[in-house]
Amino acid sequence: MIEMHDVYKVYANGVKALNGINTKIDQGEFVYVVGPSGAGKSTFIRLMYREEKPTHGVILINGVNVKRVRDWKIPYLRRNIGVVFQDYKLLSNLTAYENVAFAMEAVEAPKRKIRRRVQEVLELVGLYDRMHARPSQLSGGEQQRVSIARAMVNNPNFLIADEPTGNLDPENSWDIMYLLEEINARGTTVVMATHNREIVNTMRKRVIAIEQGVIVRDEQGGEYGYED
Amino acid sequence: MKIDTIIRHFREAFRSLTRNNWMTFAAVSAVSVTLLIFGIFLVFAFNISYMAAELDKQVAIRASLAPSITDDQIDDIQSQIKKDPQVKNVSFVSKEEGLKTMKQQWGDDKEFLEGLEKDNPLPDMLEIYAADPQKTEALAEKIKKNYPNNVEQVDYGEGVSDRILDLSGWVRNIVLIFGLGLAVLAAFLISNTIKLTIFARRREIEIMRLVGASNWFIRWPFFIEGSVIGVLGAMVPITVVLLGYNGLLGILDADKAYSFFKLLGMWPLSLYVAGITTLLGILIGVWGSLISIRRFLRT
Repeated sequence: MIEMHDVYKVYANGVKALNGINTKIDQGEFVYVVGPSGAGKSTFIRLMYREEKPTHGVILINGVNVKRVRDWKIPYLRRNIGVVFQDYKLLSNLTAYENVAFAMEAVEAPKRKIRRRVQEVLELVGLYDRMHARPSQLSGGEQQRVSIARAMVNNPNFLIADEPTGNLDPENSWDIMYLLEEINARGTTVVMATHNREIVNTMRKRVIAIEQGVIVRDEQGGEYGYED
Repeated sequence: MKIDTIIRHFREAFRSLTRNNWMTFAAVSAVSVTLLIFGIFLVFAFNISYMAAELDKQVAIRASLAPSITDDQIDDIQSQIKKDPQVKNVSFVSKEEGLKTMKQQWGDDKEFLEGLEKDNPLPDMLEIYAADPQKTEALAEKIKKNYPNNVEQVDYGEGVSDRILDLSGWVRNIVLIFGLGLAVLAAFLISNTIKLTIFARRREIEIMRLVGASNWFIRWPFFIEGSVIGVLGAMVPITVVLLGYNGLLGILDADKAYSFFKLLGMWPLSLYVAGITTLLGILIGVWGSLISIRRFLRT
């Protein structure tokens, strides 16, 4: 469960990104975060995986106040949160398999477990046959699936995605969405910032709309609600 | 830490050392120059303290006894002097022992002393060490005054070791300040080398942080990299200093005129110099890597 109480974020350059956010996301939910560019979506997302600290207010992840977590303990917090980006952030010199395995090596998982689990998630994202391809040999959609596999390989409770379909054509975007839905159906909380109107309006889920740093709308099965 | 992880850290460290080979070379050179100066200083410092200790040992008051003196009188004087609280130790050195010591000191030139056993010109002596070496002079005067008949002559070192220690203190301070400056420079160069590595691997580090790699897991390869630079940087100066010192010993040994000027032998000095220099190299290397990674891991 993710809770935000009266959260403000002011950046060092004076930009007020969030101005009093209150929300609660339960385990197993699927949430779209929508809003115009520069409204604070990304900041909202980045606070969840503790890339940023709130200037004011409390963020609880599974009951842990992330602001109070000491720096050296943050990695352990992150192991419970998978993150996916618009630009995939894959290592170009590693194969799909190695990219996913890298996430398990980094948390010092035993070798035998790595092999089994990496093959398992690659199968889940439908890239079992392509595991030895490098990112340059994969399409954008395939690369994003590798990055989702990497985010999921350590079995996190939360999957946080910042515009995961931003660089993809509609067909690939839908593949990614079905995959996220599948992951959500297996019990993982999914929070996804998006600009994709068609997806939000078709796959009806909870929608949180942020404008000028505050939540202006929060409805189950909501619509995208913007013309862009 | 798991063995797989350790292997991984070393592999990563060596990979980036070879990838940024010119920066590695520059950093290793900087460490080398620093450690070369430090190594020379180290050899110098070890010898100074050795010489000072040797000299201190020699700052004994040598009271030459009159040839007419009897064994009983010697025992008497010795026990009287021993009672003086200013005296640390008194020992009797017979003329035969005196000659033997002299032969040892003269080494290869001892043939000059051949045949003196039969007609030993040396006096019997009392060797007296002051409790406080600073008060050797006063003690010497006192002994001279107390035994005008039985003691013919009183000699002592006259503060030679003090002056050497004073001088070496100055030299040491200058070298230390100079060396510290160089060490900072070397650490700075190392931190720049590591920064390049970090730059080359920033995406990897970003992902490692994202998936929850611990800070130490991220740091270790850089630590190893810094240490390897330190160790590599120590090798050249150790070799140069020890070869140079060995050469110096050869020259001094060949020229008999200096044979009183005793330097420490190669062993165990080599071990100390190599050990301390390597350790300092690693220290500088780790310091340099710490500087550059610290800012990067702050959240």
